[in-house]
Amino acid sequence: MKWLACVLCTLIVTVAQAQAVYPAKPIRLVVPFPPAGATDILSRDLMQGLSARLGRQVIIDNRPGAAGAIGSEIVAKAAPDGYTLLMATTSTHSVEPTITPNLPYDAVKDFAPVCLVATSPNVLVVPVTLPVNSVKDLIALAKAKPGTLNYGSAGTGGIVHLTSEMFRFRTGIDIVHVPYKGTQLVVPDLISGQISMLFDNIVSAQPNLKTGKLKAIGITGLKRSPLMPDVPTIAESGVPGFEASTWFGVYAPRGTPPAIIDKLNRELVAVLQSADMRARLANLGADPVGTTPEGMAKTVAAETAKWAKVIHDANVKVE
Amino acid sequence: MIGQSLNDLWYGFGIALQPHNLMWSFFGVLVGNLIGVLPGMGALTAISMLLPLTYTMHPVPAILMLAGIFYGSQYGGAIGAILLNMPSHPPHAVTCLDGYPMTKAGKGGTALGITMIASFFAASFGIMVMIFASPLLVQIAFKFGPTEIFSIMLLGLLAGATMARGSPLKGVAITVVGLLIGIVGTDVNSGVQRFTYGIPELSDKVELVALALGMFGVADFLRSVNRTQFVGSETKVRLRDMRPSKAELKQAFFPMVRGTLIGTLFGAMPGTGPTITTFIAYAFERRVSKTPERFGHGALEGVAAPEAASHSKTQVDFIPTMSLGIPGDAVMALILGALLIQGIQPGPQLITEHADLFWGLIASFWVGNILLVILNVPLIGLWVKLLQVPFRYMYPAALFFIAVGVYSTNNSLFEIYEVLLFGVAGAILLALDFPVAPILLGYVLGPLVEENFRRALLLSRGDLTVFVTRPISAAFIGLCTLLILAQIFFAVRATMRKRREGLDAAAPPLSNVPGIE
Repeated sequence: MKWLACVLCTLIVTVAQAQAVYPAKPIRLVVPFPPAGATDILSRDLMQGLSARLGRQVIIDNRPGAAGAIGSEIVAKAAPDGYTLLMATTSTHSVEPTITPNLPYDAVKDFAPVCLVATSPNVLVVPVTLPVNSVKDLIALAKAKPGTLNYGSAGTGGIVHLTSEMFRFRTGIDIVHVPYKGTQLVVPDLISGQISMLFDNIVSAQPNLKTGKLKAIGITGLKRSPLMPDVPTIAESGVPGFEASTWFGVYAPRGTPPAIIDKLNRELVAVLQSADMRARLANLGADPVGTTPEGMAKTVAAETAKWAKVIHDANVKVE
Repeated sequence: MIGQSLNDLWYGFGIALQPHNLMWSFFGVLVGNLIGVLPGMGALTAISMLLPLTYTMHPVPAILMLAGIFYGSQYGGAIGAILLNMPSHPPHAVTCLDGYPMTKAGKGGTALGITMIASFFAASFGIMVMIFASPLLVQIAFKFGPTEIFSIMLLGLLAGATMARGSPLKGVAITVVGLLIGIVGTDVNSGVQRFTYGIPELSDKVELVALALGMFGVADFLRSVNRTQFVGSETKVRLRDMRPSKAELKQAFFPMVRGTLIGTLFGAMPGTGPTITTFIAYAFERRVSKTPERFGHGALEGVAAPEAASHSKTQVDFIPTMSLGIPGDAVMALILGALLIQGIQPGPQLITEHADLFWGLIASFWVGNILLVILNVPLIGLWVKLLQVPFRYMYPAALFFIAVGVYSTNNSLFEIYEVLLFGVAGAILLALDFPVAPILLGYVLGPLVEENFRRALLLSRGDLTVFVTRPISAAFIGLCTLLILAQIFFAVRATMRKRREGLDAAAPPLSNVPGIE
């Protein structure tokens, strides 16, 4: 019995020490999307700042697949010790739970929110040949010729598809969905005019906007983007309250000690406040947020409810 | 327009000669050269193995490197064929016929020298064709929508399936297998999971790298266990030996030109493999020769023509791949896949949208070919030594690299199981004499055909006539029809001839003729 007590004592002391000096070893951040994508670049920028503040390396582990479900599942089932974290997005925690049956994780019960780090709006672009110069013009044109305009998306059930469906439902226009395997693949058909509108990423839309092949007519966020201050928001162009941004947030597995979550939250918020990080996020077309863990839980719940309503209203089904 | 092309080419050289890009290009040709010499390790294996490395790279150096491997391996392939009578890849098998007799006659150096000159000449010609044909494609760039792309892809698929070596029935069957493998995953239009059997890893399609490495790498290794014999060679090649005499140059000049033209023609036609190209160049040379009896006993023409054809085809192959999105063969299908992974849609828009990539690639062809000529001189001796490394060391090492390469695509073990499965399946298919290359063609083109077909119908609101009312699309559909009709015609004529011969030969016992009884 004596030796057992000894072992237990040593264990308790080690655990206590480990917690006192968290992080005692490198931390793994699972990014459930492939390298070089928007989520990956944002994660890498942010984790560089976090590594510097924690004094321990945060390693990015890309686990792409199944719209983020594979990486999310890994974190949902990881040990809740603060050494495995997840960079979640609207897709993994606000859309997938509603749209995909048999998801291998529970977006609410399996995770403990840490910090909602950023949001990123999209921009509504149309070909330069389309005779519209504002969202109002576009709605008028769609109402004058119902069923003739096409919109492109990055796949059924994706955020671009749902944003377009929300736009269709809110404005009561009749437009046809043409899915692609990524927004960059829509662009050639958008330029040639076969596709009439696309909710595109603000950064990747820039080259074609600068050469005048496409026109930007509205931002999906509630604020204008610093990258293109002349483009009004859709909310201020006649669709009040229209808001569709992608959020990015860090989760830990459910059961992670609150002390660790608080520490991570403090450091992430500090990283987000640095001028350097703000400039980097602006280059990615993203706005820094930096909520408390409770704030993140509330925002994500509201987002999930919003997208669930769009999915229900527009009757989007994925089998 | 020519001025514009030259201007763009100048810009391309600026990109290709950036130290970073030059380094990857050099790395590519070096690996390619090495791989080319090794038996069973084709450009396909090498490109699939290095593909995961490119995921985190900028697209320009990534494609420069992959292309370097491709044409680098062509140089390497000729070395094994000429010096050791070992066709490391099928396209160079025909080079053995006259290359090895030349080595036995002590003229191996000359054969290599001529090969190098012919290769460089042919590659340069191919590059020129690429430079001047490409701007024409830009003019019609945005006329290519989903409707047109569907029609072109259909043509590529048909050409690939029907022109494969061996039995046409097996070619079609194996293309269908490729199409079925291509369907696995989430359907773009409806979001439905197809053939995934509830495995989340399969919802993003079967991994391209796992398929390619399994079918071509692992399958080949499994098949060549205890079969490959390494012939030692005491051949020493010095730079002095490689310089051909004036008479030899003169003798090789026209075969070289003819080989180049044949290669260019076949390169522009998607679906024609490199092996058939070199064989046709050799056969053609033999037919026009005044002394056909010398062929097979060390005729210089028999080395120059097929090697030139193989190189000009390699370069011209990039035109349909990059500017139309139709891969000419399995290697090109893989490069097409690499472009798609980088988020670059091959098509007529590629030249304007990714000018740095396109012109950088063209300029790098030249840089790479010059590097290869320089590299080959000191390295030939080394490569020959490497060929003497026993199978029991070389192939396990290669399998290890395959496993590492596949794992790193998604950082998951699932892909390793995939590569194992495809490896075993590939070995069985090879044993049954099925050509495996059309699988890759079906896998890459199938989903594109389906997607564009459905997209075109969405845009036309379900009107099927768009495929024949839009002129570009109609032209390609016409070509598809011609291809099928020609295939039927040849098949019918062949059976008729066989039957007639059968009748003539077996006239008395009538019951022996099939079909009568």
